[in-house]
Amino acid sequence: MRKRDRQLRLFLILLVACVVGVCAGLFGVGGGVLLVPLLVMLFKFEQHLAQGTSLMALVPPVGLLAFLNYAHAHEVSWAAGLLIMPGVVLGGLYGSRVAQKLSPRRMRRVFAVFLIVLGVFLITSAWILR
Amino acid sequence: MWYAEVVLLGLTVGVLVGLMGIGGGVIVVPALVYLLGFDQHMAQGTSLFLQLPPLGLAAMLVYWRKKQVDFWAGAMCATGFFLGGYYGSAIAIRLNSRDLKGAFGVFVIFSGIMLWVKSRLPRLEKNTLA
Repeated sequence: MRKRDRQLRLFLILLVACVVGVCAGLFGVGGGVLLVPLLVMLFKFEQHLAQGTSLMALVPPVGLLAFLNYAHAHEVSWAAGLLIMPGVVLGGLYGSRVAQKLSPRRMRRVFAVFLIVLGVFLITSAWILR
Repeated sequence: MWYAEVVLLGLTVGVLVGLMGIGGGVIVVPALVYLLGFDQHMAQGTSLFLQLPPLGLAAMLVYWRKKQVDFWAGAMCATGFFLGGYYGSAIAIRLNSRDLKGAFGVFVIFSGIMLWVKSRLPRLEKNTLA
């Protein structure tokens, strides 16, 4: 019985991840931004477990098929991509150290507000001002 | 000059990734569009390209050592991302850049709301799984 529950839960996680994966391919993002809150809300993951699991899911090149679609359509800037990579690794090391000293809740709220403002800006520049 | 800007952008994105425990795509895509004048499709393809290597591996290992990774859930999520990403990117390539930019804006706002909600949840959450 417990084993069946666990299998059902894993299957539901797979379904949710498929939907998040469509968003990831559609918008060229990793998917962690959606996956972490969904694991917490829908599957009652503890916050750290959700973040660790999300990071693990992104270790294999999961965006490969999506990337190949863009590459096939000639929509990839190789130079910019290669130049950004080392910065993300180095900045990530620094950022994760700073994060230990800050309140993660507060940081997330500041970032959430930033994203909402950014989204409004994107919609305005795409559909309202032309 | 262009190279210096791109490298700096990578560092900035990396710090945010470390702080928030999320992938950098949500920041990389609008930064490429607004700071470097990329087309929306090109920005998304480049974002997927630079996320192919496991940039979050070091961070993931920290979680792994603390047993904050659910391996099977992570494997399911990786599978879902891989398959979903294929269909998402196929949809994206058919859209025109302006609509894709607006849709990206909607996605960013939604992510912001999810982050905000998540930042309110931990008080209610108990570690029900593990």
